[in-house]
Amino acid sequence: MEAWIVFARGPLFRLCFSIMVLGLARVLWLTGIGIIEAYGRSDDRALAYREIFRQTLGWALPVGRAGRARPLYSLTSVLFHLGLLLVPLLLQAHVRLWQSVIGIAWPVLPAAAADGLTLLMLVTAVGLFAGRLADRRSRAISRLQDYVWPLLLAVPFVSGFACANLTLAPLTYQAGMLLHLLSADAVMFLLPFTKITHCVLQPLSQLVTAVAWKFVPEAGDRVAATLGFADRPSWAERSRLGGPHS
Amino acid sequence: MPGAPLTEAERARAFALPKKPAVIERQRLAVRYHVEDFDVRDRPRRFLEAFAAILKHTNYRVALDHYARISTKCARCAVKCQIHEATGDDRDIPCWRSELLLAVYRRHFTISGILRGRILGDPGLTDETVAEMADTFYDCTACRRCHFECPMGVDHGLVTHLGRYVLSEIGIVPRALAVSTREQLLGASGNTSAIPVPALLDSLEFLSEEMQDEKHIAIPFPVDQEGAEYLFLPAVSDFIMEADSLMGIAAVFRATGDSWTIGTGYFDGINYGLFYSDQVLEHVLRKVRAEAERLKVKKILIGECGHASRSAKHFYPMFCGGAEALPVLNIMEYTHRAWREGRLRLNPDVVTERVTYHDPCNVARPGWIVEQPRELLKAFCRNYVEMTPNRRDNICCGGGGGTVSIDEIRPYRTAIGGRVKADQIRTTGAEYCVAPCANCKKQLRELMEDQGMDCKIVGLHDLIYKALVLD
Ligand code: SF4
Ligand code: SF4
Repeated sequence: MEAWIVFARGPLFRLCFSIMVLGLARVLWLTGIGIIEAYGRSDDRALAYREIFRQTLGWALPVGRAGRARPLYSLTSVLFHLGLLLVPLLLQAHVRLWQSVIGIAWPVLPAAAADGLTLLMLVTAVGLFAGRLADRRSRAISRLQDYVWPLLLAVPFVSGFACANLTLAPLTYQAGMLLHLLSADAVMFLLPFTKITHCVLQPLSQLVTAVAWKFVPEAGDRVAATLGFADRPSWAERSRLGGPHS
Repeated sequence: MPGAPLTEAERARAFALPKKPAVIERQRLAVRYHVEDFDVRDRPRRFLEAFAAILKHTNYRVALDHYARISTKCARCAVKCQIHEATGDDRDIPCWRSELLLAVYRRHFTISGILRGRILGDPGLTDETVAEMADTFYDCTACRRCHFECPMGVDHGLVTHLGRYVLSEIGIVPRALAVSTREQLLGASGNTSAIPVPALLDSLEFLSEEMQDEKHIAIPFPVDQEGAEYLFLPAVSDFIMEADSLMGIAAVFRATGDSWTIGTGYFDGINYGLFYSDQVLEHVLRKVRAEAERLKVKKILIGECGHASRSAKHFYPMFCGGAEALPVLNIMEYTHRAWREGRLRLNPDVVTERVTYHDPCNVARPGWIVEQPRELLKAFCRNYVEMTPNRRDNICCGGGGGTVSIDEIRPYRTAIGGRVKADQIRTTGAEYCVAPCANCKKQLRELMEDQGMDCKIVGLHDLIYKALVLD
């Protein structure tokens, strides 16, 4: 078991962490390039910067917004994110680990706060799962990953909490630690291929939408030409494709 | 503001298909609006070709990539959609609808989707999905209310626009829109209502006489005035349907003395391209530009019409010269400014009825025209009430996105699309509902009629005409 733990926190961690960082960098890069290309293709340089900034900031810190639609579910989600982000980043044990690897340390959460946030995250994770399952509208649009993510994210929290706070038999402790490490690795590995990319992409959403509404001069004519309507616009003919009913 | 749930009878009526079974059979579309005959062979392949061509030449790809990755399926958008609120149908959840197109994009235009499709043997886009998109993309009014509640920033209005654009390139467009557009761009009259110039001039002369009788003062409609400050383009249907709005606008100009003109070369603000085709959008704006250049005007002034205003304001700079393009403004901005500058006198004793204001989505959603009409109305209507929600969070009249022009779906528009709006207006108890948009006016009048309500639907300038003091 010991060897597995060493593997999960050593090479496997490094692999999964790299995949996460590279994967997120990739989608960020692609989106950035997409934005620049789209903007460059348009003749109209005006962008509603203030509005874009306001909306972006508003959704990054959705105080006052979250409650406007599906308030219970949305507030649960906000609290969930709070625990989800703060605990892994600011837990003393994690910071110490980083310090031993990269030599940099940062302030940590007091143990009680970390425990409180962990419990909050767990309760809200279950809440999100249940909220999704209970609401007919969410059920209608949810995919497998939408159900799996809150549960998967809860695993490293449960196991970490148990290892840190309970007096466990050595073997149970090791099993718990292994579960903690493997699930955290799995989260990092899967993250860039799923909707969780929103952790880096969400701040770009408003800008993406704004540049997508920047239409390209003569694009419509080029589309028509590509489709073979070079000499007559596509709206021109009654039944322009000459089908059986034209 | 949830209304009473839709009854089965209402639903059946709203969704009844007026199309002949033979047409449905032939077109293989279960849509409630009439589409001209089009090639029904090989629709999925042709849809994909059109989609590919559009992705190649336009800017949609960045948004599709983004939305396909990021959507968290939280269903907040469902709460904000007046269509879903009325039907409660899963297929009217904004995210459900957009996913139809996003799934096609993912499956056919991303590497992972293509690989996964190959491995799993997924055949990809089917004929049924094309038919489904043809139906549902015209259920959404592209009002963009849901956009503000999406934490991930997904804009379903954009997806709806794109979905319709792709469909239009394979011939699937509501006949009402296609016919008007063709008349506007290729027909002899050059406008969507097929009004010939002599009829226009007649109508303007008639309105001037009317104003002479009512206000005892000469109020002209300047025509083809070279070098005027403003080229005025209302929704062309206003020339026949909205006499009071036009008279109000002419009276405002009479009071300010600014120079404006209607151009006989082109006088239609309507641009259905905004609803279904970027090519149409651009070609219509080119006509505006040509007329503005012919008459050497300095600004483009759009009448009381939401989509006409947005398509000019937002897209004119894009298609007609970028930073050098002529400025575009809406008549409400003009009148508001004139009033602020003290150039208009409004008598507060004329309009005593209770008045409420409906925000047309296309001008209110971006925060462009929100307070101006309110300030004007409050200046002379003593009994002004707001509906809730309002301003940028307003609820669509139910006829947005061009659907108001499709007469076949009137039962759908008034039973479902406008259901929440009707409740909203009813709650205000207003006698006048000001709806400064040609589309909203038509839809709301039909809504009042079908819902058995007697609130009068008017334009902003209809009331200004009543209250304006001219000397
Ligand atoms: S744009 Fe309007 S009609 Fe369309 S889905 Fe969103 S809220 Fe509903
Ligand atoms: S609000 Fe946005 S993320 Fe949530 S379901 Fe709707 S489109 Fe998807």
